[in-house]
Amino acid sequence: MRKLTLAAVVSACVFAGAVQAANPEAGKEKSRTCAACHGPDGNSAAADFPKLAGQHYDYLLKTLKDYKSGVRKNAIMAPQVANLNQRDIEDLAAYYSHQQGLVTRKNPYLVPKSH
Amino acid sequence: MKTSSTSGLALAALALAAASVASPASAQAQASGNADTGRLKSSMCAGCHSIPGYKTAFPEVYHVPKIDGQHSAYIVSALKAYKSGERRHPSMRAVAASLSDQDMADLAAFYASGPAKSASR
Repeated sequence: MRKLTLAAVVSACVFAGAVQAANPEAGKEKSRTCAACHGPDGNSAAADFPKLAGQHYDYLLKTLKDYKSGVRKNAIMAPQVANLNQRDIEDLAAYYSHQQGLVTRKNPYLVPKSH
Repeated sequence: MKTSSTSGLALAALALAAASVASPASAQAQASGNADTGRLKSSMCAGCHSIPGYKTAFPEVYHVPKIDGQHSAYIVSALKAYKSGERRHPSMRAVAASLSDQDMADLAAFYASGPAKSASR
């Protein structure tokens, strides 16, 4: 019983930590600059700017970190991410990953094409 | 005379600005892609990008990006950046290196035909 309680407390803390770490609502507030190119919900209207809506959270994190570290170079993105801290990056990634947009269609070689 | 040379300069500057703005659009129009052909060429992509929730194993672990519904112009530019080495990822570099401009255009057309919302304002 004691073990169970401990497990419950630990998992509650881990959960609370995860929720606190990335806040899509805060991300929405921080996304106003991004919206100019990527659209208000990450479904960009301009074909040169990638859609972010529905993208995986961890991929968005990686992308923003790579722009910030200079691993990925882009003249437009570099100055945008320069002032973002870890928390901002997590919030933005949470916001865009929660929007409706990009998907993964199943392997076209396993699913017959419907006409 | 002074005014006309100034306006000539201004015109030249305008033309230059217009050309630099127009270049991304003209780059898009270079090769037009066919989604059905792209589907047939997507076997190399499908092993990662057509498995919902699939994660990379090397060199870092994260979900491979969703690309169904992405803009075709953006997919082409990403593939070109992988091919040139400007964007670094071992698997993507190898895959992109084997693709022609037409292959890229066809694959981009196929993935862009995915069901994502086209745009919102």
